This record gives sequence, C-alpha cells and structure tokens, in this order.
Amino acid sequence: MDVDVLLSELNPGGTYELRRDGYWAVWPDLDVRAMATLMRAREVRLSTMTGTPGADGRLRLIYHWDVGAKMLNMETSVTAGHIPTISDVLPAADWVEREIRDYYGIEFDGRAATPPLMLREGDIPGLFSRTRDLGTQIDPAETARTNVASEGGETR
Amino acid sequence: MSPVIPLGPFHPALEEPYKVEVTTTGETITDAEITVGFNFRGIEWLAERKTYTQDIALLERVCGICSNVHTLMFCRAVEKIADLEVPARAKFIRVIVAEAERLHSHLLWAGVACNLIGFETLFMTCFSLREQVMDVLEGISGNRVNYAMNRPGGVNRDITDPASILDAVRTIADVTAKQLIPVMTTDRTVRARCSGVGILTREDAIAYGAVGPMARASGLATDIRKSAPYLVYDQLTFDVPVRSEGDVFARIVVRALEILESCKIIEQAIDMMPAGPIAGGLFLAVPAGEAAIRIEAPRGEVVYYMESNGTDMPARVRVRTPTFANMPTVRVMAIGQGLSDLGLIQASIDPCYSCNDR
Repeated sequence: MDVDVLLSELNPGGTYELRRDGYWAVWPDLDVRAMATLMRAREVRLSTMTGTPGADGRLRLIYHWDVGAKMLNMETSVTAGHIPTISDVLPAADWVEREIRDYYGIEFDGRAATPPLMLREGDIPGLFSRTRDLGTQIDPAETARTNVASEGGETR
Repeated sequence: MSPVIPLGPFHPALEEPYKVEVTTTGETITDAEITVGFNFRGIEWLAERKTYTQDIALLERVCGICSNVHTLMFCRAVEKIADLEVPARAKFIRVIVAEAERLHSHLLWAGVACNLIGFETLFMTCFSLREQVMDVLEGISGNRVNYAMNRPGGVNRDITDPASILDAVRTIADVTAKQLIPVMTTDRTVRARCSGVGILTREDAIAYGAVGPMARASGLATDIRKSAPYLVYDQLTFDVPVRSEGDVFARIVVRALEILESCKIIEQAIDMMPAGPIAGGLFLAVPAGEAAIRIEAPRGEVVYYMESNGTDMPARVRVRTPTFANMPTVRVMAIGQGLSDLGLIQASIDPCYSCNDR
C-alpha cells in the first residue's frame, strides 16, 4: 500500500511525516467518514483508535491503520465533544467508539445507539476524563456511578 | 416471535465471564448480541497513575496466557520514546520467549478445541506438549505465568541452558507433525464438526478488523512479524500459514501449522543468538514523547499507544488486544449457524476476555 498515494487522494497537499513508529498525519479538520470510506475501498484495516487528552483541553483522536510495513496514524481533534461515527462504514470501529465514549464521554454522531462497552448500563460516560486529575485514592468502579468532578467534588 | 436465548455471563466450561444473547428461528441463529466488560479492571486508567517500573508489573497482568507480550509492548514503547538500544542477545531472548509463549497459547487452545469437539485423547496430547513448554518458560524465567522477562533496554534473565529448550522444541515439533496435524486435518469427526462452520469471509475479516490466525484463516496473509519485522524476525526463516476457507477447520489448521513455525523460529534463534550483554544501563527518565507500536501476539496483532509527559508516570497507555479486534466477528460468523455450533464458533477465535476487558 502506497501511503503517499492514499493520503494525497484523501487530502491533496495535506502534510504528514514518517516517524520511527510509522506515518503520522495530524489533520484537525480530518473528514473521518471520507477517510473510512477510502480505507474500506482500499482494503486497509483499522487497527484501533486512541483517545487522549490534548494540551488545548480537546480530545485527540488517533485512527491507527495497518498499511503494511508501517502503521499509519491519522490524528484529529474532537470539537465540542462530538465527531461523526465511522462504525457504519467500518464495523471494526464499533466497539472502539463505544469504549472511547466510556472513557472520555464524547459522542459519535450518526450511531443508532452507543451502549456502554466496558462500563455498565447506567454508568456515567467519561470515566477517564472525569477522574483525570485524581490519584489512585479514587476507585474507578465507584466513580463510574457517581459524577465525581476532577476537582474532587462529588456532583451526583 | 423469535426466542432470544441469553448465554452467560457465567459458563460451566469457561472461567471467564461474557454474555451472548442469540435470537433464533428454530435451531438457527438469526442474530447475536455480545456483552463484554465483566472483567473490566481499568488497567489503562491505573497505568496513568503508576510509575513506569510499576506499570511493567501491572501490564503483565492484562493476560494470563500472553503476559510476556504486554511487558514486551510496554518496554518497546518506552524504548521508542527514550531511544534506548536493546543488545542483540536480548532481542534473540525476547524472540525465544515470545515464540515459546505462542506455543503455549496455541497448544492450550488446541487442547480446549479438542475437548470441545469431543476428542479427549488429543486433548491429553496437547496438554502434555503444553506442559513441556511451561517447563521451558519456567526454566528460563523461574515463573510459569508472569515471566517478568522484559525491562526497558533488554531482558532480566539470560538463557543458560539452550540444550533443554531445543530438546523440548524438537519433541513438540515431532509430535505436532506426526500426531496432531495428521489427526486434526484428516479425522472425519474433526472435519465433520468444523468444516463449513462459522465462516468469516475475507471481506468481513477486513471490515471487522480481524487479526492473527483468524484473519489468516480467512485468506489474509497478515503477520506483523513479516510485514513490519521487529526484534530479529527479519533474520529468521519462517512461513506464515494462510487458508482461504474462513471456517473453524481453517483456524485449526492455521494454528497447528503455526506451532511448527514457532519451533523453527526458536531453533534458529538459539543457534544464532550471539554472546553479549542482555540489557543496557539503567535509564533515569522517559522524555516527553509518544509512540504507537504493534507486534504479533499468539492471537494476533497487539497495538499499544504510549504518551509521556516527561514525569515518572506515563500520561496515556492505550492497549488494544487481539480478542478486542476478533470478538465482534462472532456475530457475523454465528448468523445462519445452528445453536449447537455457537460454542465452537466462539472458541475458534481463541478468546481471552481478560485481555479484551483489561
């Protein structure tokens, strides 16, 4: 798979770099549905997705693709807690999107439903983001059912 | 109205909890909904709150079978970010332990599969071979489950008795080639029970992101050891077994053939392993940075993403295990199959719910 061709087809002129761990394309305005459609057409496998808090307070969302010898990591930012789903294009994204909602509370727009994957029905999404600044004294099983804010206050 | 049959989360023959609700028409499955998360331990959450040294012990407990994979991944992520060199001997030792772990995992799965099919004699053969692998791993590391072999920049223990490893590996290869594979590939009971059951098409394997033996049994020649070699896999000669049928039988054959390939790899690695140190010096800190890495675990590709902010604790550790990628395929494989085939279909992905839920 020629990564240069793939990325230029998706975003002509878009910049990217080859790091020691693979290709990285950091595109804040990435059209994730166009990306998923192209990858499906080219038979590129979605390895997984990673959510991680960015310095600006927004969630960085990284789509990791198996393009052969190098991994392709395509990063975008989640605006106002919403991003379109790609699970209808690629079923491989279904569980990952549910898990990221569990941990960071963002919504994947366009899904018929987003039931919890790791949390239980009725738990509050966003376990990781709500408890990010808290130490190990917090029990994640307890905080899943109560809205513990990062400042340490409990707001059920 | 089609009945919905809930199975689980607790099962009489499987230690790990998960739930599947199947909708049926008569005895035929028309839909299946899988519920996981019963083993959720928040390991990614915990990893952000422990030091790098503590995290090695934590991540070794993601899985009770491929525990070595997770310390290897964690240490390789640290090595990428901190630009640490790993001595050549340590790379060979890492390959030997990783392939012994693959033998252990595949033989365990083969034994369980034989048990499910109703082939008790072969079950005993598989577990007897597996015991020899466990002895090898215990001989190298002193442990039978959590080997504590990896550290950033190398390994913790040397291989001091390569002859005993070779003896065990040659026995395993011999019995696998002369007994396991002939019986598993030609026996009428195995074929009747597994051929044409639980088919995952090549197209679905890509769309659902199937990995490892699951993908290779559906016609995808994918193996990170070949496509993106790490450690010293590019110096070793081995084949990647691929089948096109996509059924339970194909998965059995792929894993059985992979046992032989792992034996070949271990023999070569022991032969080629150079003398020298097994680890670099102690490092003081992991600089700020990030890395996304992957390796080929027994059940398929494992992906780790690590982010460091320069403190003694990682800012983010993301763990994607093979079962997490493979488990959703059960739904497409089960639809159209008989209810009595469901257990076999689920077992054919070699699931690990502990890995899946982390």
